[in-house]
Amino acid sequence: MDDQQKWRLELQNSNVEIRATAAENLCLAGSDSVAAAVDLVVACGDVEDVQNWAAAALEDIGAPPVDSVDALESLVSSSDPLVSYWAVTLLGRLGVDASRSQVILGKAVSDSPHPSVQERAAWALGKIGATEASVVESLKKAAASDSPRLANLASRALA
Amino acid sequence: MFWLIVALLTGGGVSGLLNPDWPIVGPLVTSVKTQAIEYKNQNPLGLVGGDAGHESANTAGAYAGPPVQSASALGPNDKILMATFNIQVFGESKLRKPEAMAVIVEVIRKFDVIAIQEVRAKADDILPRLIAELNADGSRYDFIIGPRLGRSVSKEQYAFVYDTNRIELDSASVGTIGDPADLLHRAPFIARFRPRTTDPDRAFTFWLVNTHTDPDDVPEEVNALAQVFQVMQTARPDEDDVILLGDLNANEQQLGDIRKIPGVQWVVGGGVMTNTRQNKAYDNIIFCAPATQEFTGKWNVLNFEQEFNLSREEALRVSDHFPVWAEFDVWESSGAVH
Repeated sequence: MDDQQKWRLELQNSNVEIRATAAENLCLAGSDSVAAAVDLVVACGDVEDVQNWAAAALEDIGAPPVDSVDALESLVSSSDPLVSYWAVTLLGRLGVDASRSQVILGKAVSDSPHPSVQERAAWALGKIGATEASVVESLKKAAASDSPRLANLASRALA
Repeated sequence: MFWLIVALLTGGGVSGLLNPDWPIVGPLVTSVKTQAIEYKNQNPLGLVGGDAGHESANTAGAYAGPPVQSASALGPNDKILMATFNIQVFGESKLRKPEAMAVIVEVIRKFDVIAIQEVRAKADDILPRLIAELNADGSRYDFIIGPRLGRSVSKEQYAFVYDTNRIELDSASVGTIGDPADLLHRAPFIARFRPRTTDPDRAFTFWLVNTHTDPDDVPEEVNALAQVFQVMQTARPDEDDVILLGDLNANEQQLGDIRKIPGVQWVVGGGVMTNTRQNKAYDNIIFCAPATQEFTGKWNVLNFEQEFNLSREEALRVSDHFPVWAEFDVWESSGAVH
C-alpha cells in the first residue's frame, strides 16, 4: 500500500487525530492527491481539524479524475454545505467531462438551501455548459435573482 | 478596548486621518467597515494593546503605539521591510507543531510588517498565541486581524503583524473592502501604516491591501482587485501609496486588469517562483511606481527551506508558500502627496 492509499484509508479512522493527520498529509502532497478527491470532499464534513486540511487540499488538486463523476454527483445533495460545495466545485473543474452532471447541478442552482452551493453550481454550469431545457430554465431564474453574484454567474453560464 | 476608543475618538479626522465610515466612490468599493470590534474579540488573552506603551502615542491622531525607540537590529533605521506570507491553514494544528512554529516565528521576525493570509480557525486566540511566541524574546510585535471571510462555511482571516518598535498603525484606517457585487471570495483587508521615526510628518505612509484570491475564479478576481487598487488610490487625497500584497493565485502574466493600471509595478516576475514546490509564482507585492518611489528596488522570496536547512517535507509543514518581501525607505519621497 502506498502513502496515498494509506492516507485515504486513514480518513475513515475512528481516531480524529489520525484523520486530521491523513488530511494534512494529503494536502501537503498537493496535486499528487488528486486520486483522493472524493475522499477529501467527504472529509469536508468532518470536524474542524480534518475539514480545514481537506478543504485546503481540494483548493490545490485541480480537476479530479473523470471516473469520480458519479461519486461527486452523489455528494452534491449532501446535507453538509461544505461537502456539497466541493462536490459541485470539482464537477465544474471537470468542464465538459462532467456534462452529464448538468441536471444535478441545475437542481442545485434552484433548490440548494445554501447560497454558496447555488452560486458554485451556477459557476460550474458556466464551465460545463448548459444545454438541457430544465437547466437553462433554472439558470434563467437564477439570473433574475436578488443575489448579485448568483445572478452574474447564472448570466455568464447562459451566455 | 483602548484601540476601540482611539478608533472612535479619532475617526473624525484629527490630523486628516481616516474615518472608518468614510464613503469611497467606485464601481466596486462603497465603504470600509471598521474592524475594531472584531479586533477586540480576537484578543481574549489581552496580549495586544494591554501594555502601557500602547497608550503612549508619540503623535497626534490615530497612530498609537509605544514610544519611539531605537530601531530593531533587523534592518537599517532608514528602511523598512514589508512582506506577504500565506501560512497555509494557519490554525490550531499548526500551533501545535513546535518545529513549524519556530520557523514561522523566525521568518516573521525578519520583517517590520507582514501581511498574513489563511488564518483558518474557529478559535479566536490564534494570532495572540503567535504574538506571544514572537514577543518571547523581547520583541514588540502586534497584530490586527480581519473578519472570517469566504463563501463556503470554511472561512479564512487576513492579518497584519507588525513590529511596534518600527511601525505605527493608523488605527482609524483599518477595514475590509466593501464588495456589494460580491466579486471577491475574500474581500481584501486594508490598513494604513507608517514607519516609526523621529519626524512623523515626513514619514512614508501607505495603505496595505491584503488579498487571497479564489483559485477557481482568478481572472475575475484579479480584475476586481484592479478596481480595488484604483479605488484605494483615490480613497483619501493625502495618500497616494497603495501596496497590494498577498496570494493572487496568478503569476505576473495573469494579472489581468492590474497590468493596465498606469505605472503599476510588481516585484515578483521573470520566472522567480514563490511556492515551496518552486513551480508557481502566485504571491506578489504590487504598487504604482511613480507614486511609491519609496521602494528601494530590493525584494526577494524568502526560501525558508534553504534558509533553515529543511527538507522539502519539513518546509511544506511550515507552508506551501514562501514569503515575498520588499524594502522601502522610511521617508516620504520628495514631491509625493504623502
